[in-house]
Amino acid sequence: MAASEIVLAGAADRDLTQIDAYREVGGYATLDRARGMGPQAVLDELLTADIKGRGGAGFPMGRKASFIPKPGQNPNPTYLTVNADESEPGTFKDREIMLRVPHRLIEGCLITAHAIGSRNVFIYIRGEYLREFEIIRAALEQAHGAGLMGDVTIVLHRGAGAYICGEETALLESLEGERGQPRTKPPFPAIAGLYASPTLINNVETIATVPAIVEHGGAWYADQGTEGSRGTRVFSLSGNVRRGGNYELELGTTLRDLIYHHGGGLPGSRRIKAIIPGGSSVPVLTADDIDTPLTFEAMADKGTFLGSGAVIVIDDRCCMVQLGLRVAQFYMHESCGKCTPCREGTRWMVQILRKIEDGRAEQAELDLLLDVCDRILGKCLCPLGDAAAMPIASYVDKFRAEFQAHIDAGGCPYKGESSLERVFAPVDQHTHHPTVEVPA
Amino acid sequence: MTDRSHSPRNPIVGTAQGFGVTFKQIFKKPITQQYPEYKRPLYPRWRGRHRLWRHENGLEKCVGCSLCAAACPADCIRVVPAENTPDNRVSAGERYARIYEINMSRCIFCGYCELACPFDAITLGNEFEISEYARDDLIYTKDMLLAEPIKQVPVADPELYDTPIPYYKTHS
Amino acid sequence: MPELVTLTIDDREVQVPKGTGLVETAMGAGIEIPVFCYEPRLGPAVGACRMCLVEIEGMPKLQAGCTMTAQDGLVVRTAATSDKAAQGQNATLEFLLLNHPLDCPVCDKGGECPLQDLTFRYGPGTTRMVFPKRTFDKPIPISPTIALDRERCILCYRCTRFSEGVAEDHQLVPRNRGAQTLITTFEEEPYRAPFSGNVIELCPVGALTSTQYRFEARPWEIQNVPTVCTMCPVGCNVTVTTREGKVKRILSRNHPEVDQGWLCDKGRFAFSHLRAEDRVTQPLRRVRRRGFATISWEEALDETERVLRGAGGRIVTALSGSETIEHAYGLAKLLRTGLGAHSAVLPEETDVAIDAFRLPLSAIRGAELIVVVGDDPVAERAPVVDLWLKLARRGGAEVVTIGAAGSVLTAPGSAAQTCRELAGSGSELGRRLRESERAILIWSSPGGHGGAEIAALAGELGFAGKPGSGAFHLPATPNGRGVADAWAAASDDEGPNPEPIAVLVVSGDEAASDPHVRALAERAETVIAIVMFERVALGWADLVLPGTSYLERDGTAMNLEGRLQRLRRAAIPPVADELSWLSQLAARFGVDVSPYPAPVFEELAGTVYGGLTLGELGERAALAERAQIPAPAPDPDTEPARPSDGHYLNLLPYRPLFAGAAVERVPELQFQRPAAEVELSWDDAQRRGISSGDEVLVRSNGTSATLRARLNRRLLPGVVRIADEHARDLHATVEVTKP
Repeated sequence: MAASEIVLAGAADRDLTQIDAYREVGGYATLDRARGMGPQAVLDELLTADIKGRGGAGFPMGRKASFIPKPGQNPNPTYLTVNADESEPGTFKDREIMLRVPHRLIEGCLITAHAIGSRNVFIYIRGEYLREFEIIRAALEQAHGAGLMGDVTIVLHRGAGAYICGEETALLESLEGERGQPRTKPPFPAIAGLYASPTLINNVETIATVPAIVEHGGAWYADQGTEGSRGTRVFSLSGNVRRGGNYELELGTTLRDLIYHHGGGLPGSRRIKAIIPGGSSVPVLTADDIDTPLTFEAMADKGTFLGSGAVIVIDDRCCMVQLGLRVAQFYMHESCGKCTPCREGTRWMVQILRKIEDGRAEQAELDLLLDVCDRILGKCLCPLGDAAAMPIASYVDKFRAEFQAHIDAGGCPYKGESSLERVFAPVDQHTHHPTVEVPA
Repeated sequence: MTDRSHSPRNPIVGTAQGFGVTFKQIFKKPITQQYPEYKRPLYPRWRGRHRLWRHENGLEKCVGCSLCAAACPADCIRVVPAENTPDNRVSAGERYARIYEINMSRCIFCGYCELACPFDAITLGNEFEISEYARDDLIYTKDMLLAEPIKQVPVADPELYDTPIPYYKTHS
Repeated sequence: MPELVTLTIDDREVQVPKGTGLVETAMGAGIEIPVFCYEPRLGPAVGACRMCLVEIEGMPKLQAGCTMTAQDGLVVRTAATSDKAAQGQNATLEFLLLNHPLDCPVCDKGGECPLQDLTFRYGPGTTRMVFPKRTFDKPIPISPTIALDRERCILCYRCTRFSEGVAEDHQLVPRNRGAQTLITTFEEEPYRAPFSGNVIELCPVGALTSTQYRFEARPWEIQNVPTVCTMCPVGCNVTVTTREGKVKRILSRNHPEVDQGWLCDKGRFAFSHLRAEDRVTQPLRRVRRRGFATISWEEALDETERVLRGAGGRIVTALSGSETIEHAYGLAKLLRTGLGAHSAVLPEETDVAIDAFRLPLSAIRGAELIVVVGDDPVAERAPVVDLWLKLARRGGAEVVTIGAAGSVLTAPGSAAQTCRELAGSGSELGRRLRESERAILIWSSPGGHGGAEIAALAGELGFAGKPGSGAFHLPATPNGRGVADAWAAASDDEGPNPEPIAVLVVSGDEAASDPHVRALAERAETVIAIVMFERVALGWADLVLPGTSYLERDGTAMNLEGRLQRLRRAAIPPVADELSWLSQLAARFGVDVSPYPAPVFEELAGTVYGGLTLGELGERAALAERAQIPAPAPDPDTEPARPSDGHYLNLLPYRPLFAGAAVERVPELQFQRPAAEVELSWDDAQRRGISSGDEVLVRSNGTSATLRARLNRRLLPGVVRIADEHARDLHATVEVTKP
């Protein structure tokens, strides 16, 4: 679409799922060049590019890759794992990348594997992405047939429906065949990751950016975007907008630009009530924040995060309590159950929010909800607990009047007209476990 | 200063004074309470013989948790629990006290067992006429403790006291 | 000397070796860091329950203390001095109690429950939970011995980590995710494994409880007696819980060198044999062919004296190897010095040669190469040793089992030959054993000359100078060496084997159940049996003197390591202790045997154990240093079984763990008894068209048995394995066919 496209460049004109088409736009040429450069040279380009991880945590990729021990320092093999378990609500950018430019992802894998000295790459793809899986599988066959793999093996592994397996150590556990539950860090995956060996784990978008960085140089990439957020990003725009979808834009673009210029604004004459800037795991912004640039630092200044870059627009038809309940139900369902605060706290939050939405709550329970969020924050084994507590706390903080109205009115003020009405998760589906007679 | 009020100089005078005190009592109204014809009313919270209670539907309240035995400073309670089965449901919980014995000769009637019980199953009632001739007869078993008291004793009017008194206290 | 680091905990400076866990460091300083899921024996700390949250200077978030190790200059604040940490721990407890049922009065764990204790110390005083708690059907028997209550479970995952990562039976697993997680058995099958009972001790709440101990007693009503289990030669240290003089349960006492805190199910649950309905409580005399009449002790002792005097010295004693050393010595002194009866039969030989390569069992964990020689699985002979082997393997050691069902398949009965081969020059494994600094040999088979075979091998492989290398012989008897020592120490005289046998004295139920002893009994004129159970002696013993169990004895026993351990009387036996009537009987023959174990032990220890006293043994007995004994020469004349000719298969009977007179009388353990099965190798089964689960006929000359087939890919073709109680009369070679 725009000239600033890097990851999705060329996909609008051609079918880049085919290797020949991809080669026509210069695909796999960078791979040869990278293999000619030494691994350290590739790493240096990544460091110069200062690209921050596109999964959600935003850790600088080059720095993460430099934690991997150099050949000879560690007796175990080095692994590269690509996190294609895109499950953050509102995020569908990796899907687009895998659907339209799978070869760019594969080239990125091979270049990165070369940079860290790895011969084994694992792509952990979300189980629900069946079409994307088939496309990548076909693309891998094409690349293999064209003799591009070298001595690298790429394994494409499907997940089985767990958001928590997007957390890096839970992903590694799942890949190893264990229950998908996160591990404590330290030890970090760079030292002891997959099979207790040094592992670099990165998001699909991050890896798919690598060919461009190596082709044009890290400095070129670092020139775009802002000082704290270099390069471009694929933003998934959804919610109450006319033209939702994936837009690859330079970092620094404002929310107004994305929503109104690219997204066509809100349908009808609706007004923005709230904006979730980075997937449901981040605190919400209000309509006053519409001019915030989409950068890591600007979002941090506003008390939220850029996260996965999934912008969800909420207009004034939506009840914020219902939104909070729906979001809390998601985290309750997806909690892995290993640590106590997340496992028990997310369920408690759902129970309290349900009570508030039904209008049965007492005044003290609003503060109880905030206290529960406070008790979860910072005490969990992995960020899922924080991802559940922070947004809910932000809904109460920024839309307290609405929560108060539920309590005062003894019911939802939208009276069944909210846009989220009846869109609730079947969280009770596993409530009763049938008991089977155990013979003596 | 030595206190000489109780030691008069003259021993005869002193003796006469002593007899005088005794003589005067002949004409005063006696304060002796003629027990057992007159039984002085007990205070509502007075601790007497223990009682085990049942629910309205006849199930015993005691689940045999043995907290009373733990609390007892004299270590005089013996609880041996057993499981409630569908054929034999004795208490309202998962278990009941198959054996429940209190050794009354050891009991100091402190009421700690009543305080410890989570189900209000054991309370100290108002009965105190529980003398026996043989020591073994003082080991009260569960049936004895579940039973109604044989002799009733009067209890003072609870309205006179401002502390709320539970139901079982006024019905000994 | 490990490097020491200095750190500060709650303003207190502590110095510990580098790498010590933070929880242990704090404990050493007298500070508690509360934990639920932390158990170092289960592997590296997971930090799952978030109970151990502490504040570390320099880190913004609270950290899980159990995952941290002591480092120089660390400044730690626990709940005692940090409000943030206190609030974090309070939050964890509040979250745990949200859906925890109000079961304390009816829960067996009450009074010894870490959740109760920690809630008092760090938790909230009231609840803010107004919603209905989540419920499950409860309790669910996951096996006849263990009950699971899912409502109480706090999902610390200790039990599943034990099942997966220690016992490696993978039977207790978590299912579902998040708030819907629950603990269940794989495929809802009963939890049938030799170590299942350990989860009862691991569970910090009353979710996994013992059905035997259900509603038996509260912690303030019991007495605990420290003793040692002698149902197998490992000799795990246990604590016996009694109430009003009756044994109610057995817990592990954790000897770090012997059992590491684990107990097998036999040692844990078999104590109810003390109250078996056929327990002999009075001496018995045989009447008619299959009957007993009760006689008084006076009569019994008179009769015994009469019989023994009339034997003219032609007395043979059959020992079980499960007696205490003192009982054996008392019996030996009476018979040998009083009656000149020097002939005794033990189920197996014993030898001191193994003492030259003596090691504590915990040394297995540090080994790099372990070779197990023999046909019997280690778990059947000495269960806890199998746990040590698994621990070693998880730590990177290589474990090679050489036998009819091992990782290296050899013909049954060829263990001695394997030893010869390993010592030879052509053996690659033998070379690696020689080169290793930390190699362990284990003999797990019948025979072996009491450890002389494996000691000979260890000697030839050069283990003598290597403190990290050693050898273990797994005997069939719990105290065989102790009993043999006691018998030998009673007298220096020898005598010929009596022929014909006038009196056979059978000591112990194991000897009374042994077919070889029964065969001897047929040749003897009179049989005196000292047993616990009437049915064991019915029909062949002429006089029965009541025996006691290891839980009712005070004395000593020597385990397979060669460690002398002290047994203590946990329950008063319903009958007189053996020493008391042995002492009276001995007096009639002019022999002085004390009725108390301490003087008996001291008399014996003077000759055999270097003057040790009973008091010096201590609560967790130490293992003596290695003895300097010259290695014996290997036995030249053992022969393995002939290889099968394809049609006839070699029968390899084995004695399973859950066997014996005591186990047979425990109703809860019957499900662990071996099924009526015959184990076939894959090839043999294919050739006969037999699949796993089929009913097959096993025939040998004149006898047959109908058993269920079970295929074992790791069994040597040509061999079948049957538990010896099902293989009773079958001969050494059998045919197996589908009927």
